[in-house]
Amino acid sequence: MNLPVKVAVAKDQLRRMHCEFNPLSRCDGSVMYSQGASVVISAVLGPVEVKSQNLSIDGSYLECNYRPKAGLPQVKERLREAAIKDILDLTVLSEAYPRSKMSIQVQELEDRGSMDACAVNSACLAMLIGGLPLKCSFAAVHCIIDEQGDYVLDPDHSETAHQRASFTFAFDSMEGNLLLIQTKGAFKIEQFNDIECLCRSASQEIFKFYRSQIAKFHGASQDIKANHESMETI
Amino acid sequence: MATSGTIVMPGERIASIEEVAKTKRVILGPGLRRVDDTVVASKAGPLRHKEPNTFWVDNYQRRYVPARGDLVLGIVRSKAGDLYRVDIGAPETASISYLAFESATKKNRPDLNPGDLIYARVLNASADIEPELVCVNSNGKRGKLGVLPDGFFFKCSLNLGRVLLRENCPILAAITRQLPYEIAVGVNGRIWVKAHSLRETVALAKAILALEQAGYAETDKVCDNLGDYLEA
Repeated sequence: MNLPVKVAVAKDQLRRMHCEFNPLSRCDGSVMYSQGASVVISAVLGPVEVKSQNLSIDGSYLECNYRPKAGLPQVKERLREAAIKDILDLTVLSEAYPRSKMSIQVQELEDRGSMDACAVNSACLAMLIGGLPLKCSFAAVHCIIDEQGDYVLDPDHSETAHQRASFTFAFDSMEGNLLLIQTKGAFKIEQFNDIECLCRSASQEIFKFYRSQIAKFHGASQDIKANHESMETI
Repeated sequence: MATSGTIVMPGERIASIEEVAKTKRVILGPGLRRVDDTVVASKAGPLRHKEPNTFWVDNYQRRYVPARGDLVLGIVRSKAGDLYRVDIGAPETASISYLAFESATKKNRPDLNPGDLIYARVLNASADIEPELVCVNSNGKRGKLGVLPDGFFFKCSLNLGRVLLRENCPILAAITRQLPYEIAVGVNGRIWVKAHSLRETVALAKAILALEQAGYAETDKVCDNLGDYLEA
C-alpha cells in the first residue's frame, strides 16, 4: 500500500498544513487542504439562485454537504456536516446577499485523524478564496488525551486508537470566541480548560497559515503587477 | 493607479481608512463594510487604494455580482410578458424590457429569441431586487449595445474581462495589428468576438484565452507571439 509518509511531529504541535487553491474549475472557489496525511477538497458556490422553499428575504440560505471517501454519507458524516454548517451560520455575513444561496461541498479524500478540524479549516479557506463575505475567519483544532493522560494536539490516525477523550474546538479569528465544542470520553474539568488553552494558541498558527497562503495566492500576480507598473512609467 | 497594499482578512479592522475618513468622505468598495464607526473587511486579499478616497479589497472572485453601470454580455433565456429574462452569470437572472431597445415601440417590438446574445448595460442592481438591463443610452440611442449576431462567444475569468476593458489596454491594440476584428467584453467574464473568417475568429478566441494564464508581466510577450496563435 502506498501510504503517505508520516512526518513525526511533537505531541504539542500541529501537523504540517498544506493547501492548493482552485483545483476545480467549475465552482466559484475551491481548495485542496491537508493536515498531515488527512486530505479534503472543499468547493463553494455562491451567491447562486435559491429554490423558493429555502428563500429568505433577509439573508442567504446556507447549504453544506460532506461526502465521505467512499459510499454514502452516514450519521457520522451528517454530524460533521451539521458542525460545519453551525460554524458557517455564525461567521458568514449572510445579509450581504439576501435571496440567494451559498453552498459548500466538502469531499473527504483521506481520513488520517483530526478529520473534523480538517474539514472545518478547508471550508474556511474555500470561503476565503471564493470571495464570500465573512464576519471573521475561523479555525478548528482537534486534541485528545491519550492512555498516559498526555495531551496530543492534532493527532494522527495511529495516535487516536487509544484515547481517553477527544476534543474539537473552533475559534473565530477576531476575538477568539468559541464557535464549536465537540467532546467525547471521560475527562476532568481542569483537563478541559487546559486543552482549550492549548487549542486556542494552536488556532493562531492556523490563522497565520491562512494569511500566508492568501498572500502567496495574490503575491504571484502582485509582484508582476508592480513590475508592469514600473515598466509603464519608463 | 491603484497602490498595492497589505493583505487583509475578514473581520479585520482597518484603521488606515478610519484615519482618512476623519478628514474626508471615503468610498468603500467590494470587501469592505462599515460597522458603526469602524471599517471592517469582509473578504480576504490585498487592500487597494485609489486616490483620492476609494478603497477596496482585491479578490479573484469567480462569481459575477451585478453593479450599476456595468457592461455585460447576457443570453436571453425566455420571454415573460413585456420582459425578457437574461442570464448574465449573476445569482439571479436579469430582466430587460422590450422598450429598452433603440426605436422600440409597443407596436415595433425587438425580435429577440431564447438563445440570443445581447450586450447590455446594468441599469440598476441591488441585493434585494432583480438586476435590470438596458440596451440604449439616456438619449435612446443604442451605441455599441444590442443584439450580437454571428460571432463566437466564450467565458473567461472576471479578472481577464476587467483587464481587457481597462483604458488603452495593450492586448487589444496588439491584436489589431494582426487582423481586423470586432469584440464585446462583459465584466461578467464573457467575451464575444468576430473576425472575417471562422478560422480567424477561433484563433482570436484562443489568443485571448492564452492571456488568462499569462499574468501581467507576460502580457507583452504573449502580445508579440499573437501571430503564432493566429496562424496555428
